[in-house]
Amino acid sequence: MALVCLGLEGTAHSFGAGIVTSKGKVLANEWDMLKPSQGGIHPREASRHHSDLGPGIICRAMETAGMGYKDINLIAFSRGPGLGPCLRTTATMARTLALKLDIPLIDVNHCVAHIEIGSLESRFEDPVTVYVSGGNTQVIAFAGGRFRTFGETLDIAIGNMLDVLGRYLGMEFPAGPLIEKEARAGRDFHSLPYSVKGMDISYSGMLTAAKKLVSDGVPIPDICYSVQETAFGMLAEIAERALAHTKKDELLLTGGVARNDRLTEILTGVSERHGARFHRVSPSLAGDQGAMIAWNGVLQYESGHEIEVESSYVLPKWRTDEQDILWRH
Amino acid sequence: MVKEDVLALGAESVIFKLERWNQAFVLKSRQAKPYLLEEIDSLLRKTRTARECRTLIIARTLGVRTPAVYSVDLNNYTILMDFIEGTQFKLLAEKLPERQLTRLCFKFGESIAYLHEGEVVHGDPTTSNVIVDNQQRLWLIDFGLSEMNATVEMKGVDLHLIRRALETTHWDRQESMLNATIEGYVAVLGDGAEGPLSRMNEIRERGRYH
Repeated sequence: MALVCLGLEGTAHSFGAGIVTSKGKVLANEWDMLKPSQGGIHPREASRHHSDLGPGIICRAMETAGMGYKDINLIAFSRGPGLGPCLRTTATMARTLALKLDIPLIDVNHCVAHIEIGSLESRFEDPVTVYVSGGNTQVIAFAGGRFRTFGETLDIAIGNMLDVLGRYLGMEFPAGPLIEKEARAGRDFHSLPYSVKGMDISYSGMLTAAKKLVSDGVPIPDICYSVQETAFGMLAEIAERALAHTKKDELLLTGGVARNDRLTEILTGVSERHGARFHRVSPSLAGDQGAMIAWNGVLQYESGHEIEVESSYVLPKWRTDEQDILWRH
Repeated sequence: MVKEDVLALGAESVIFKLERWNQAFVLKSRQAKPYLLEEIDSLLRKTRTARECRTLIIARTLGVRTPAVYSVDLNNYTILMDFIEGTQFKLLAEKLPERQLTRLCFKFGESIAYLHEGEVVHGDPTTSNVIVDNQQRLWLIDFGLSEMNATVEMKGVDLHLIRRALETTHWDRQESMLNATIEGYVAVLGDGAEGPLSRMNEIRERGRYH
Protein backbone atom coordinates (compact mmCIF):
# COMPACT_ATOMS: atom_id res chain seq x y z
CA MET A 1 0.00 0.00 0.00
CA ALA A 2 1.27 3.42 -0.93
CA LEU A 3 1.51 5.96 1.86
CA VAL A 4 -0.33 9.27 1.52
CA CYS A 5 1.33 12.45 2.71
CA LEU A 6 -0.27 15.84 3.27
CA GLY A 7 2.28 18.63 2.87
CA LEU A 8 1.85 22.20 4.07
CA GLU A 9 3.93 25.00 2.56
CA GLY A 10 4.00 28.45 4.10
CA THR A 11 7.44 30.05 4.09
CA ALA A 12 6.54 33.40 2.54
CA HIS A 13 3.62 34.92 0.64
CA SER A 14 2.01 31.63 -0.47
CA PHE A 15 0.18 29.00 1.51
CA GLY A 16 -0.22 25.59 -0.07
CA ALA A 17 -1.54 22.16 0.75
CA GLY A 18 -0.54 19.19 -1.39
CA ILE A 19 -1.32 15.50 -1.21
CA VAL A 20 1.18 13.07 -2.70
CA THR A 21 1.53 9.31 -2.52
CA SER A 22 4.75 7.44 -1.80
CA LYS A 23 4.70 6.40 -5.47
CA GLY A 24 5.11 10.06 -6.38
CA LYS A 25 1.57 10.66 -7.60
CA VAL A 26 0.29 14.17 -6.93
CA LEU A 27 -3.37 13.82 -5.88
CA ALA A 28 -3.95 17.45 -4.99
CA ASN A 29 -2.01 20.69 -4.97
CA GLU A 30 -3.97 23.74 -3.83
CA TRP A 31 -2.55 27.12 -2.93
CA ASP A 32 -3.15 30.81 -2.60
CA MET A 33 -0.71 33.67 -2.94
CA LEU A 34 -0.99 36.91 -1.00
CA LYS A 35 -0.90 39.87 -3.36
CA PRO A 36 -0.15 43.01 -1.38
CA SER A 37 -2.19 45.98 -2.61
CA GLN A 38 0.94 48.11 -2.40
CA GLY A 39 4.58 47.68 -1.46
CA GLY A 40 6.25 44.40 -0.57
CA ILE A 41 5.30 41.48 1.63
CA HIS A 42 4.89 42.15 5.32
CA PRO A 43 5.61 38.99 7.35
CA ARG A 44 2.72 39.62 9.73
CA GLU A 45 0.20 40.16 6.92
CA ALA A 46 1.44 37.05 5.17
CA SER A 47 1.11 34.93 8.30
CA ARG A 48 -2.44 36.27 8.79
CA HIS A 49 -3.19 35.31 5.20
CA HIS A 50 -2.01 31.77 5.99
CA SER A 51 -4.04 31.44 9.18
CA ASP A 52 -7.16 32.91 7.54
CA LEU A 53 -7.05 30.88 4.34
CA GLY A 54 -4.95 27.85 5.35
CA PRO A 55 -7.71 25.63 6.77
CA GLY A 56 -9.91 26.24 3.69
CA ILE A 57 -7.02 25.41 1.36
CA ILE A 58 -6.35 22.16 3.24
CA CYS A 59 -10.04 21.22 2.94
CA ARG A 60 -9.96 21.98 -0.78
CA ALA A 61 -6.93 19.73 -1.22
CA MET A 62 -8.71 16.90 0.62
CA GLU A 63 -11.74 17.31 -1.64
CA THR A 64 -9.66 17.38 -4.81
CA ALA A 65 -7.87 14.20 -3.74
CA GLY A 66 -11.25 12.68 -2.80
CA MET A 67 -9.95 11.72 0.62
CA GLY A 68 -10.89 11.85 4.24
CA TYR A 69 -8.43 12.61 7.04
CA LYS A 70 -8.27 8.93 7.94
CA ASP A 71 -6.63 8.31 4.55
CA ILE A 72 -3.66 10.54 5.40
CA ASN A 73 -0.61 8.68 6.75
CA LEU A 74 1.93 11.48 7.10
CA ILE A 75 2.02 15.24 7.70
CA ALA A 76 4.93 17.26 6.32
CA PHE A 77 5.51 20.99 6.74
CA SER A 78 7.95 23.62 5.56
CA ARG A 79 10.20 24.14 8.56
CA GLY A 80 12.36 26.77 6.87
CA PRO A 81 13.99 28.83 5.55
CA GLY A 82 11.48 31.65 5.42
CA LEU A 83 9.70 34.38 7.30
CA GLY A 84 9.31 33.51 11.00
CA PRO A 85 5.63 34.38 11.46
CA CYS A 86 4.64 32.49 8.31
CA LEU A 87 6.64 29.42 9.29
CA ARG A 88 5.13 29.36 12.78
CA THR A 89 1.56 29.62 11.51
CA THR A 90 2.10 26.79 9.06
CA ALA A 91 3.91 24.61 11.59
CA THR A 92 1.08 25.10 14.08
CA MET A 93 -1.42 23.73 11.58
CA ALA A 94 0.83 20.76 10.79
CA ARG A 95 1.44 19.91 14.45
CA THR A 96 -2.26 20.12 15.24
CA LEU A 97 -3.10 17.72 12.42
CA ALA A 98 -0.33 15.31 13.37
CA LEU A 99 -1.48 15.19 17.00
CA LYS A 100 -5.16 15.01 16.17
CA LEU A 101 -4.72 12.28 13.58
CA ASP A 102 -1.92 10.63 15.54
CA ILE A 103 0.38 10.27 12.52
CA PRO A 104 4.08 11.10 11.98
CA LEU A 105 5.17 14.71 11.52
CA ILE A 106 8.02 15.44 9.09
CA ASP A 107 10.02 18.65 8.85
CA VAL A 108 10.99 19.66 5.33
CA ASN A 109 13.54 22.13 4.01
CA HIS A 110 11.81 24.40 1.51
CA CYS A 111 14.76 24.62 -0.91
CA VAL A 112 15.42 20.89 -0.85
CA ALA A 113 11.72 20.28 -1.54
CA HIS A 114 11.93 22.41 -4.68
CA ILE A 115 14.79 20.27 -5.98
CA GLU A 116 13.15 16.95 -5.14
CA ILE A 117 9.78 17.70 -6.74
CA GLY A 118 11.68 18.93 -9.80
CA SER A 119 13.67 15.70 -9.87
CA LEU A 120 10.45 13.71 -9.57
CA GLU A 121 8.89 15.50 -12.52
CA SER A 122 11.98 15.46 -14.74
CA ARG A 123 13.17 12.00 -13.66
CA PHE A 124 16.59 13.57 -13.24
CA GLU A 125 18.85 11.66 -10.92
CA ASP A 126 21.48 14.16 -9.92
CA PRO A 127 20.90 17.63 -11.38
CA VAL A 128 22.50 21.00 -10.95
CA THR A 129 19.49 23.05 -9.88
CA VAL A 130 18.91 26.72 -10.62
CA TYR A 131 16.37 27.84 -8.06
CA VAL A 132 15.02 31.30 -8.76
CA SER A 133 12.14 32.97 -6.95
CA GLY A 134 11.11 36.10 -5.10
CA GLY A 135 13.24 35.20 -2.13
CA ASN A 136 15.87 32.82 -3.47
CA THR A 137 18.51 32.77 -6.16
CA GLN A 138 20.70 29.72 -5.74
CA VAL A 139 22.61 27.19 -7.79
CA ILE A 140 22.52 23.94 -5.85
CA ALA A 141 23.93 20.46 -6.41
CA PHE A 142 24.23 17.28 -4.38
CA ALA A 143 27.71 16.44 -3.08
CA GLY A 144 28.94 14.50 -0.09
CA GLY A 145 25.57 13.62 1.41
CA ARG A 146 24.11 17.11 1.24
CA PHE A 147 22.75 19.66 -1.18
CA ARG A 148 25.45 22.29 -1.46
CA THR A 149 24.92 25.85 -2.55
CA PHE A 150 27.53 26.40 -5.24
CA GLY A 151 26.43 29.92 -5.99
CA GLU A 152 23.87 32.42 -4.86
CA THR A 153 23.05 36.09 -4.82
CA LEU A 154 25.16 38.19 -2.49
CA ASP A 155 22.38 40.73 -2.04
CA ILE A 156 18.84 40.52 -3.44
CA ALA A 157 17.01 37.63 -5.09
CA ILE A 158 16.22 37.84 -8.78
CA GLY A 159 12.44 37.79 -8.25
CA ASN A 160 12.73 40.51 -5.64
CA MET A 161 14.85 42.56 -8.02
CA LEU A 162 12.20 42.22 -10.76
CA ASP A 163 9.41 43.12 -8.33
CA VAL A 164 11.19 46.22 -7.05
CA LEU A 165 11.91 47.35 -10.60
CA GLY A 166 8.30 46.61 -11.53
CA ARG A 167 7.01 48.72 -8.65
CA TYR A 168 9.25 51.51 -9.84
CA LEU A 169 7.68 51.20 -13.29
CA GLY A 170 4.18 51.19 -11.82
CA MET A 171 3.55 47.48 -12.41
CA GLU A 172 1.53 45.17 -10.20
CA PHE A 173 2.99 42.39 -8.07
CA PRO A 174 4.38 40.00 -9.21
CA ALA A 175 6.11 42.05 -11.89
CA GLY A 176 8.15 39.28 -13.54
CA PRO A 177 5.55 38.29 -16.17
CA LEU A 178 4.88 41.93 -17.09
CA ILE A 179 8.58 42.68 -17.40
CA GLU A 180 8.95 39.63 -19.65
CA LYS A 181 6.14 40.88 -21.87
CA GLU A 182 7.59 44.40 -22.14
CA ALA A 183 11.06 42.99 -22.84
CA ARG A 184 9.82 41.29 -26.00
CA ALA A 185 9.23 44.72 -27.52
CA GLY A 186 12.67 45.98 -26.46
CA ARG A 187 14.99 47.17 -29.24
CA ASP A 188 17.92 49.06 -27.78
CA PHE A 189 20.19 47.40 -25.27
CA HIS A 190 21.53 49.58 -22.49
CA SER A 191 24.60 48.31 -20.72
CA LEU A 192 24.04 47.61 -17.00
CA PRO A 193 26.45 46.51 -14.26
CA TYR A 194 27.18 42.82 -14.74
CA SER A 195 28.38 41.37 -11.46
CA VAL A 196 29.63 37.80 -11.21
CA LYS A 197 31.97 36.95 -8.35
CA GLY A 198 33.19 33.40 -8.58
CA MET A 199 29.93 31.46 -8.61
CA ASP A 200 28.04 34.23 -6.81
CA ILE A 201 26.18 37.14 -8.29
CA SER A 202 24.93 40.52 -7.20
CA TYR A 203 21.87 42.36 -8.47
CA SER A 204 21.67 45.53 -6.41
CA GLY A 205 24.07 47.55 -8.59
CA MET A 206 22.17 46.54 -11.69
CA LEU A 207 18.86 47.50 -10.10
CA THR A 208 20.14 50.95 -9.17
CA ALA A 209 21.41 51.50 -12.71
CA ALA A 210 18.11 50.28 -14.19
CA LYS A 211 16.19 52.74 -12.02
CA LYS A 212 18.41 55.46 -13.38
CA LEU A 213 17.43 54.47 -16.93
CA VAL A 214 13.82 55.06 -15.87
CA SER A 215 14.55 58.59 -14.71
CA ASP A 216 16.58 59.18 -17.88
CA GLY A 217 13.42 58.54 -19.88
CA VAL A 218 14.54 55.31 -21.59
CA PRO A 219 11.48 53.47 -23.00
CA ILE A 220 10.14 50.79 -20.63
CA PRO A 221 10.50 47.90 -23.13
CA ASP A 222 14.20 48.73 -23.59
CA ILE A 223 14.75 48.82 -19.83
CA CYS A 224 13.02 45.47 -19.33
CA TYR A 225 14.94 43.95 -22.23
CA SER A 226 18.29 45.19 -20.91
CA VAL A 227 17.53 44.06 -17.35
CA GLN A 228 16.45 40.58 -18.44
CA GLU A 229 19.43 40.01 -20.71
CA THR A 230 21.88 41.18 -18.05
CA ALA A 231 20.28 39.46 -15.06
CA PHE A 232 19.75 36.16 -16.88
CA GLY A 233 23.20 36.32 -18.45
CA MET A 234 24.72 36.47 -14.98
CA LEU A 235 22.58 33.58 -13.81
CA ALA A 236 23.52 31.54 -16.87
CA GLU A 237 27.16 32.11 -16.14
CA ILE A 238 27.04 30.79 -12.59
CA ALA A 239 24.90 27.84 -13.69
CA GLU A 240 27.52 27.14 -16.32
CA ARG A 241 30.31 27.43 -13.77
CA ALA A 242 28.52 24.92 -11.55
CA LEU A 243 28.01 22.51 -14.47
CA ALA A 244 31.65 22.76 -15.53
CA HIS A 245 32.83 22.39 -11.95
CA THR A 246 30.65 19.44 -10.89
CA LYS A 247 30.64 17.75 -14.32
CA LYS A 248 27.02 16.76 -13.77
CA ASP A 249 24.88 16.26 -16.87
CA GLU A 250 21.44 17.49 -15.86
CA LEU A 251 20.28 21.07 -15.39
CA LEU A 252 17.03 21.76 -13.58
CA LEU A 253 15.28 25.14 -13.52
CA THR A 254 12.75 25.74 -10.77
CA GLY A 255 11.13 28.43 -8.60
CA GLY A 256 8.64 31.13 -9.55
CA VAL A 257 10.99 32.84 -12.02
CA ALA A 258 11.33 29.53 -13.93
CA ARG A 259 8.20 30.63 -15.79
CA ASN A 260 10.29 33.09 -17.78
CA ASP A 261 10.75 31.88 -21.37
CA ARG A 262 13.86 33.92 -22.11
CA LEU A 263 15.63 32.53 -19.04
CA THR A 264 14.63 29.04 -20.16
CA GLU A 265 16.00 29.68 -23.64
CA ILE A 266 19.36 30.85 -22.26
CA LEU A 267 19.72 27.92 -19.88
CA THR A 268 18.80 25.52 -22.68
CA GLY A 269 21.79 26.92 -24.56
CA VAL A 270 24.01 26.47 -21.51
CA SER A 271 22.93 22.83 -21.24
CA GLU A 272 23.63 22.15 -24.89
CA ARG A 273 27.13 23.58 -24.64
CA HIS A 274 27.91 21.19 -21.80
CA GLY A 275 26.09 18.18 -23.20
CA ALA A 276 23.62 18.24 -20.33
CA ARG A 277 19.91 17.54 -20.35
CA PHE A 278 17.65 20.44 -19.38
CA HIS A 279 14.30 20.55 -17.67
CA ARG A 280 12.11 23.45 -16.61
CA VAL A 281 9.75 22.47 -13.83
CA SER A 282 6.12 23.10 -14.83
CA PRO A 283 4.53 26.17 -13.20
CA SER A 284 2.25 24.22 -10.87
CA LEU A 285 5.26 22.49 -9.30
CA ALA A 286 7.84 25.26 -9.70
CA GLY A 287 6.27 27.86 -7.42
CA ASP A 288 5.79 27.54 -3.68
CA GLN A 289 3.21 24.80 -3.10
CA GLY A 290 2.38 21.89 -0.83
CA ALA A 291 3.00 18.98 -3.21
CA MET A 292 6.75 19.48 -2.99
CA ILE A 293 6.59 19.46 0.80
CA ALA A 294 4.47 16.31 0.75
CA TRP A 295 6.81 14.52 -1.67
CA ASN A 296 9.87 15.48 0.34
CA GLY A 297 8.03 14.30 3.44
CA VAL A 298 7.62 10.89 1.83
CA LEU A 299 11.31 10.69 0.92
CA GLN A 300 12.38 11.66 4.41
CA TYR A 301 9.94 9.34 6.15
CA GLU A 302 10.96 6.39 4.01
CA SER A 303 14.60 7.00 4.88
CA GLY A 304 13.67 6.80 8.54
CA HIS A 305 13.26 10.43 9.54
CA GLU A 306 10.41 12.07 11.42
CA ILE A 307 10.25 14.71 14.13
CA GLU A 308 8.59 14.98 17.54
CA VAL A 309 6.12 17.82 17.93
CA GLU A 310 8.08 19.09 20.96
CA SER A 311 11.21 19.64 18.91
CA SER A 312 9.57 20.88 15.71
CA TYR A 313 10.41 24.57 16.20
CA VAL A 314 10.82 26.46 12.93
CA LEU A 315 14.17 27.33 11.36
CA PRO A 316 13.90 30.69 9.55
CA LYS A 317 17.58 30.61 8.55
CA TRP A 318 17.85 26.91 7.71
CA ARG A 319 20.60 26.62 5.15
CA THR A 320 20.23 24.16 2.28
CA ASP A 321 23.48 22.43 3.23
CA GLU A 322 22.58 21.91 6.88
CA GLN A 323 20.45 18.84 6.31
CA ASP A 324 21.79 15.32 5.78
CA ILE A 325 20.03 13.97 2.69
CA LEU A 326 19.44 10.41 3.81
CA TRP A 327 17.58 9.28 0.70
CA ARG A 328 20.31 10.11 -1.82
CA HIS A 329 23.65 8.42 -2.29
CA MET B 1 48.16 27.96 -35.26
CA VAL B 2 47.05 24.38 -34.97
CA LYS B 3 44.81 23.64 -32.04
CA GLU B 4 45.53 20.38 -30.33
CA ASP B 5 44.20 18.50 -27.32
CA VAL B 6 41.31 20.07 -25.48
CA LEU B 7 42.42 20.13 -21.86
CA ALA B 8 39.18 21.41 -20.43
CA LEU B 9 35.81 22.89 -21.32
CA GLY B 10 35.40 25.63 -18.78
CA ALA B 11 32.40 27.78 -18.04
CA GLU B 12 33.68 30.62 -20.15
CA SER B 13 36.48 29.20 -22.24
CA VAL B 14 38.03 26.21 -23.93
CA ILE B 15 41.57 25.31 -22.88
CA PHE B 16 43.84 23.73 -25.49
CA LYS B 17 47.23 22.21 -24.87
CA LEU B 18 49.83 22.75 -27.59
CA GLU B 19 53.33 21.41 -27.95
CA ARG B 20 55.94 23.22 -30.00
CA TRP B 21 59.70 23.19 -29.94
CA ASN B 22 59.62 20.65 -27.12
CA GLN B 23 57.67 22.99 -24.95
CA ALA B 24 54.06 22.84 -23.79
CA PHE B 25 51.70 25.80 -24.05
CA VAL B 26 48.14 26.55 -23.13
CA LEU B 27 45.81 28.36 -25.46
CA LYS B 28 42.81 29.77 -23.64
CA SER B 29 40.01 30.65 -26.01
CA ARG B 30 36.84 32.44 -25.01
CA GLN B 31 34.37 31.31 -27.64
CA ALA B 32 31.06 32.90 -28.52
CA LYS B 33 27.95 31.87 -26.67
CA PRO B 34 25.03 32.18 -29.06
CA TYR B 35 22.46 31.97 -26.27
CA LEU B 36 23.63 35.26 -24.74
CA LEU B 37 22.91 38.71 -26.07
CA GLU B 38 25.74 39.44 -28.48
CA GLU B 39 26.57 42.82 -26.91
CA ILE B 40 26.99 41.24 -23.48
CA ASP B 41 28.87 38.21 -24.76
CA SER B 42 31.47 40.08 -26.78
CA LEU B 43 32.02 42.66 -24.04
CA LEU B 44 32.62 39.90 -21.49
CA ARG B 45 34.95 37.99 -23.78
CA LYS B 46 36.99 41.08 -24.50
CA THR B 47 37.22 42.50 -20.97
CA ARG B 48 37.98 39.16 -19.40
CA THR B 49 40.69 38.29 -21.89
CA ALA B 50 42.33 41.66 -21.32
CA ARG B 51 41.89 41.47 -17.58
CA GLU B 52 43.28 37.97 -17.32
CA CYS B 53 46.34 38.82 -19.34
CA ARG B 54 47.03 41.95 -17.30
CA THR B 55 46.58 40.30 -13.90
CA LEU B 56 48.67 37.25 -14.82
CA ILE B 57 51.54 39.67 -15.26
CA ILE B 58 50.82 41.94 -12.29
CA ALA B 59 50.45 38.96 -9.95
CA ARG B 60 54.05 38.00 -10.67
CA THR B 61 55.25 41.41 -9.59
CA LEU B 62 53.39 40.83 -6.32
CA GLY B 63 55.19 37.56 -5.68
CA VAL B 64 52.56 35.09 -6.91
CA ARG B 65 53.50 32.43 -9.46
CA THR B 66 51.46 32.58 -12.66
CA PRO B 67 51.98 31.16 -16.16
CA ALA B 68 53.98 33.43 -18.45
CA VAL B 69 51.93 35.05 -21.21
CA TYR B 70 53.30 34.86 -24.76
CA SER B 71 50.59 36.54 -26.72
CA VAL B 72 47.09 37.86 -26.42
CA ASP B 73 44.63 38.30 -29.26
CA LEU B 74 41.77 40.61 -28.36
CA ASN B 75 40.03 40.07 -31.69
CA ASN B 76 39.83 36.33 -31.27
CA TYR B 77 39.73 36.43 -27.48
CA THR B 78 42.66 34.11 -26.94
CA ILE B 79 45.70 34.04 -24.65
CA LEU B 80 48.75 31.90 -25.25
CA MET B 81 50.61 31.06 -22.06
CA ASP B 82 52.90 28.55 -20.39
CA PHE B 83 51.57 25.13 -19.58
CA ILE B 84 52.27 24.48 -15.90
CA GLU B 85 53.27 20.91 -15.22
CA GLY B 86 51.51 19.84 -12.06
CA THR B 87 48.23 18.80 -10.47
CA GLN B 88 45.11 20.79 -9.81
CA PHE B 89 44.96 21.55 -6.09
CA LYS B 90 41.35 20.38 -6.13
CA LEU B 91 42.37 16.87 -7.18
CA LEU B 92 45.42 16.76 -4.95
CA ALA B 93 43.49 17.83 -1.86
CA GLU B 94 41.49 14.62 -1.88
CA LYS B 95 44.57 12.46 -1.53
CA LEU B 96 47.02 14.35 0.66
CA PRO B 97 47.65 13.61 4.31
CA GLU B 98 46.52 16.30 6.71
CA ARG B 99 49.89 17.96 7.34
CA GLN B 100 50.80 18.33 3.67
CA LEU B 101 47.33 19.58 2.90
CA THR B 102 47.35 22.29 5.55
CA ARG B 103 50.84 23.34 4.45
CA LEU B 104 49.54 23.89 0.91
CA CYS B 105 46.47 25.70 2.21
CA PHE B 106 48.77 27.97 4.21
CA LYS B 107 50.63 28.78 0.98
CA PHE B 108 47.33 29.35 -0.81
CA GLY B 109 46.35 31.86 1.89
CA GLU B 110 49.74 33.56 1.50
CA SER B 111 49.29 33.85 -2.28
CA ILE B 112 45.86 35.40 -1.93
CA ALA B 113 47.29 37.78 0.68
CA TYR B 114 50.09 38.88 -1.69
CA LEU B 115 47.46 39.74 -4.28
CA HIS B 116 45.35 41.60 -1.73
CA GLU B 117 48.42 43.43 -0.48
CA GLY B 118 48.79 44.74 -4.01
CA GLU B 119 45.10 45.73 -4.09
CA VAL B 120 44.28 42.91 -6.50
CA VAL B 121 41.52 40.31 -6.04
CA HIS B 122 41.51 37.02 -7.89
CA GLY B 123 37.74 36.91 -8.35
CA ASP B 124 37.42 33.12 -8.55
CA PRO B 125 39.80 31.69 -5.94
CA THR B 126 38.75 28.04 -5.98
CA THR B 127 41.02 25.04 -5.61
CA SER B 128 40.40 24.35 -9.33
CA ASN B 129 42.35 27.49 -10.11
CA VAL B 130 45.50 26.50 -8.24
CA ILE B 131 48.13 24.19 -9.69
CA VAL B 132 50.67 22.47 -7.47
CA ASP B 133 53.94 21.56 -9.20
CA ASN B 134 56.24 18.71 -8.25
CA GLN B 135 58.22 20.98 -5.93
CA GLN B 136 55.05 21.72 -3.99
CA ARG B 137 54.92 25.25 -5.34
CA LEU B 138 51.58 26.92 -6.01
CA TRP B 139 50.65 28.53 -9.33
CA LEU B 140 47.50 30.62 -9.63
CA ILE B 141 45.53 30.59 -12.87
CA ASP B 142 42.23 31.79 -14.32
CA PHE B 143 42.26 35.51 -13.63
CA GLY B 144 39.30 36.39 -15.86
CA LEU B 145 37.27 37.73 -12.94
CA SER B 146 40.17 39.52 -11.24
CA GLU B 147 40.02 43.18 -10.34
CA MET B 148 42.47 45.92 -9.44
CA ASN B 149 42.13 48.72 -6.89
CA ALA B 150 40.44 46.25 -4.58
CA THR B 151 38.40 47.55 -1.65
CA VAL B 152 37.93 45.76 1.69
CA GLU B 153 34.58 44.58 0.37
CA MET B 154 36.15 43.02 -2.72
CA LYS B 155 38.79 41.28 -0.61
CA GLY B 156 36.05 40.05 1.72
CA VAL B 157 34.19 38.59 -1.26
CA ASP B 158 37.40 36.85 -2.40
CA LEU B 159 37.73 35.20 1.02
CA HIS B 160 34.04 34.34 1.06
CA LEU B 161 34.50 32.58 -2.28
CA ILE B 162 37.36 30.52 -0.86
CA ARG B 163 35.16 29.40 2.00
CA ARG B 164 32.34 28.62 -0.43
CA ALA B 165 34.65 26.56 -2.62
CA LEU B 166 35.91 24.55 0.35
CA GLU B 167 32.34 24.02 1.55
CA THR B 168 31.07 22.67 -1.77
CA THR B 169 34.11 20.76 -2.94
CA HIS B 170 36.10 19.72 0.14
CA TRP B 171 33.25 19.35 2.61
CA ASP B 172 34.91 16.68 4.71
CA ARG B 173 38.10 18.71 5.25
CA GLN B 174 36.74 22.23 4.92
CA GLU B 175 37.44 23.32 8.47
CA SER B 176 41.14 22.50 8.63
CA MET B 177 41.61 23.76 5.07
CA LEU B 178 39.92 27.07 5.80
CA ASN B 179 41.82 27.55 9.04
CA ALA B 180 45.17 26.91 7.40
CA THR B 181 44.31 29.22 4.50
CA ILE B 182 43.37 32.00 6.90
CA GLU B 183 46.57 31.44 8.88
CA GLY B 184 48.60 31.92 5.73
CA TYR B 185 46.58 35.01 4.89
CA VAL B 186 47.13 36.51 8.33
CA ALA B 187 50.83 35.60 8.31
CA VAL B 188 51.34 37.94 5.35
CA LEU B 189 48.92 40.74 6.15
CA GLY B 190 49.03 40.83 9.95
CA ASP B 191 46.53 43.35 11.29
CA GLY B 192 45.62 44.18 7.72
CA ALA B 193 43.81 40.84 7.49
CA GLU B 194 41.20 41.85 10.03
CA GLY B 195 39.05 44.01 7.75
CA PRO B 196 38.67 41.51 4.90
CA LEU B 197 38.15 38.59 7.32
CA SER B 198 35.34 40.24 9.23
CA ARG B 199 33.80 41.27 5.90
CA MET B 200 33.94 37.62 4.81
CA ASN B 201 31.69 36.65 7.71
CA GLU B 202 29.34 39.54 7.06
CA ILE B 203 28.92 38.67 3.37
CA ARG B 204 27.87 35.14 4.18
CA GLU B 205 24.82 36.42 6.02
CA ARG B 206 23.60 38.68 3.24
CA GLY B 207 21.24 37.74 0.46
CA ARG B 208 19.73 34.89 2.40
CA TYR B 209 16.03 34.67 2.79
CA HIS B 210 15.52 35.83 6.35
